[in-house]
Amino acid sequence: MRNPRIAFVFLAISLSALLATPAAAQGDGAKADLAKLKPKDFPTGPIEFTVVYPAGGGMDVTARLLAKHVEKWSGDRIVVNNRTGGAGMVGHAYLATQAKPDGYTVGVIANLMWGDAMLRAQNRWAYTDLEPIGYLNSDALTWVGPTEGPYKGMSVRQIVALAKDKPGTIRAATVPGSMWDYILDQVEANTGAKFLRVPFQGGGAGINALAGENVDIAQGFYSEFRGLAEAGKVTPIGVASSERMSFLKDTPTMNEALGGNEYLWNVIRFVVVPKGTPADRKAYLKAAIEAAMKDPELVAEYVKAGVYFDPKLTNAARMETNLNEYAEREREFYQKTGRLK
Amino acid sequence: MEALVGLLTGFGVIMTPANLYLCFLGSLIGTLVGVLPGVGPLAALALLLPVTFTLSPVGGMVMLASIFYGAMYGGSTTSILLNIPGEAASVVTCIDGHQMAKQGRAGAALGIAAIGSFVAGTLGVIVMTFCAPAIAAVAIRFGPPENFALMVLGVVCTLFMITRSPVKGALMIALGFLTATVGIDVVNGRERFTFGSVDLSAGIELLAVVIGLFGVTEILSNVEATVKSTVVAERIRGLWPTLADWRASWRPMLRGSGLGFFLGLVPGGGPVTASFMSYAVEKRISARPERFGKGAIEGVAGPESANNAAVAGSLIPVLSLGIPGNPVTALLLGALVIQGIQPGPLFITQRPDLFWGIVASMYVGNVFLLLLNLPLVGLWAQLLRIPYRVLFPIVLLLSVVGTYSANKNVFDLWVMLGFGIAGYVLHKLNYDLAPFIIAFVLAPLLEQSLRQSLAMSPHGAMIFIERPATLLMLLCSAGLIALMLRPLPNTKGGRL
Repeated sequence: MRNPRIAFVFLAISLSALLATPAAAQGDGAKADLAKLKPKDFPTGPIEFTVVYPAGGGMDVTARLLAKHVEKWSGDRIVVNNRTGGAGMVGHAYLATQAKPDGYTVGVIANLMWGDAMLRAQNRWAYTDLEPIGYLNSDALTWVGPTEGPYKGMSVRQIVALAKDKPGTIRAATVPGSMWDYILDQVEANTGAKFLRVPFQGGGAGINALAGENVDIAQGFYSEFRGLAEAGKVTPIGVASSERMSFLKDTPTMNEALGGNEYLWNVIRFVVVPKGTPADRKAYLKAAIEAAMKDPELVAEYVKAGVYFDPKLTNAARMETNLNEYAEREREFYQKTGRLK
Repeated sequence: MEALVGLLTGFGVIMTPANLYLCFLGSLIGTLVGVLPGVGPLAALALLLPVTFTLSPVGGMVMLASIFYGAMYGGSTTSILLNIPGEAASVVTCIDGHQMAKQGRAGAALGIAAIGSFVAGTLGVIVMTFCAPAIAAVAIRFGPPENFALMVLGVVCTLFMITRSPVKGALMIALGFLTATVGIDVVNGRERFTFGSVDLSAGIELLAVVIGLFGVTEILSNVEATVKSTVVAERIRGLWPTLADWRASWRPMLRGSGLGFFLGLVPGGGPVTASFMSYAVEKRISARPERFGKGAIEGVAGPESANNAAVAGSLIPVLSLGIPGNPVTALLLGALVIQGIQPGPLFITQRPDLFWGIVASMYVGNVFLLLLNLPLVGLWAQLLRIPYRVLFPIVLLLSVVGTYSANKNVFDLWVMLGFGIAGYVLHKLNYDLAPFIIAFVLAPLLEQSLRQSLAMSPHGAMIFIERPATLLMLLCSAGLIALMLRPLPNTKGGRL
């Protein structure tokens, strides 16, 4: 587990070394381009980055790093504000229905907003009320297995086969009403396996339970299991992404492991503004985020946190279309499974 | 031996002017945050998080950690002097601490609280120095069934908090449980008792309830008592704890330290739970429990030690496993991640400078806090001479600011106000408010661990009997209930 990480840090360092020179040369150019887009009357005060999860969490760290670099490139003052509660529901509703669309409120959010909009917003707002202006990064949900006990060293396929032979004996950590549950639904529906689902508040809590041998498999993101995996307490066994992760080369995708194409569950982090934000301000904010995301320093910080960049979303021109496509795919899943009528 | 070498490394890291300054600054901010009602360590840490980006990882962590334990020192001050908790972990200190203040013994209460905090904080960090990895290895095996049994024990302890009518007390516990169910069901993700309101789907914020129930209620109750012009009419007798105070306090301090440290380790536990349980334990084992609620110094010494020890305890899972057990430690973890450091089981070996630096800073920080708080005792006691009409508007303003700053949600202010009025009415009707709060704190953990245990068990409730630690704790709870039901010969009738 150590090698990939070292390799990755190396990659990040060499990446920044490679890009450093052109970036420095480009730096002034990018700043000038941004200045050209700057509306005359905006911003006259600090811009608020709203984060709907608590300070210190993965989303918060992502937003604060972004804020630091947007400040650097635009010269504007950014304030990160955590509007928490209801597992993000309160903040999402605030952004969609209460925040003024004047460019001073920017949401740094994740695609978990779609589930809130489709299943829990009761038609008070829709995901289209928040317009994407920049893609940040993604995290793939990963199945993690034990390194001790009867299930140690087993592949996803072996564990699923066991869960089919002896239904209801393998304890799987899950987070109710979220992609943790959805992927288990898919696996069970496609393979006939049956897991004993143990509910936790988040991925990290489930992985800890795995390390403490209170469950047999868990799911989480790289940043959540990296520490325990490096210490050999748990091991990643399947990634719910379309391709293998560069830092988990030996871990197959869930699609590879189970022979399918629908096991794709990611946290996608992106930036939105409330619908109705003036076009010039929106364009300026968009350019500011793009400039920050081209900064190799920010890229390196994100890479260090264990995320990846989805090639379908890094292309700014296609970003919004592809995001909406992902959202609609999620809607189809909800409809197919009867969660949404 | 290894630990001593590590500790020396840590002192080497920490003994630079910059780091000592940050430790002192954190202690000072922590004390202030503790004293101010409403503004708790969580809000303060979230506010100061961006500041740490510009600091070294050691410096940033030292400052954030010292704010956390510093708040535990400061919290008791407001509780004792004004009967308003400075932060949630000092709610229980109001009960006897403020009675002591009313009897003119504010100085003794403040002194014992500061010294108890110091003793517990130092003991906690000593244990942390020598046993952190070993404790972490045991703590990670603590699963849902063990958590459940512990919470049952906690609820049983709550019963000892009831000072007035047992029926009314039980009602308050039930109400606490019910109030805690509002929001998103922790197990299946569905909304409960939210009546379609987005604000209620977030559940009811603990901080808003605490400030409302204790802060606003106290202010409302005082407004009617126009006769008195200052908080404490009597003259302030002796600023320092007497020999008798010492004799009564040292055992509660040690017990509080042990209990607090253990509860800090448990996920979901922490200073709040620790202080309540310590109070319940002290009351239970006291030879004269009837003194509790009337200014018993044990009721200050125990809980104030427990909440500090809980801070040290709760840092162990974060620093040696990367597992945060409560929101404050989650924030500390985030601060490390922003610095590019991912704590995990290898943290101590990979970053000894950081781990031991933080540990060493806690020895230093506790000394700073003692030196900071003891001389302030006299000054704080003078606060009692400030007239109500000046003091309470300020307190109310601070409560509003503090409550809002936690989530930046105006709804929380309505919750605060609502619970303030409800608390006032309940107070008039002679209901105990402390059992409500403790039930409210314990309920989510109790429910979650029960349902997790049942979900992970192939044989239903048998899981509680199959696991030895769980069984032991459940038997203890049963024993306590049996003790309670047996009428004690030397008290008048049963106290429930």
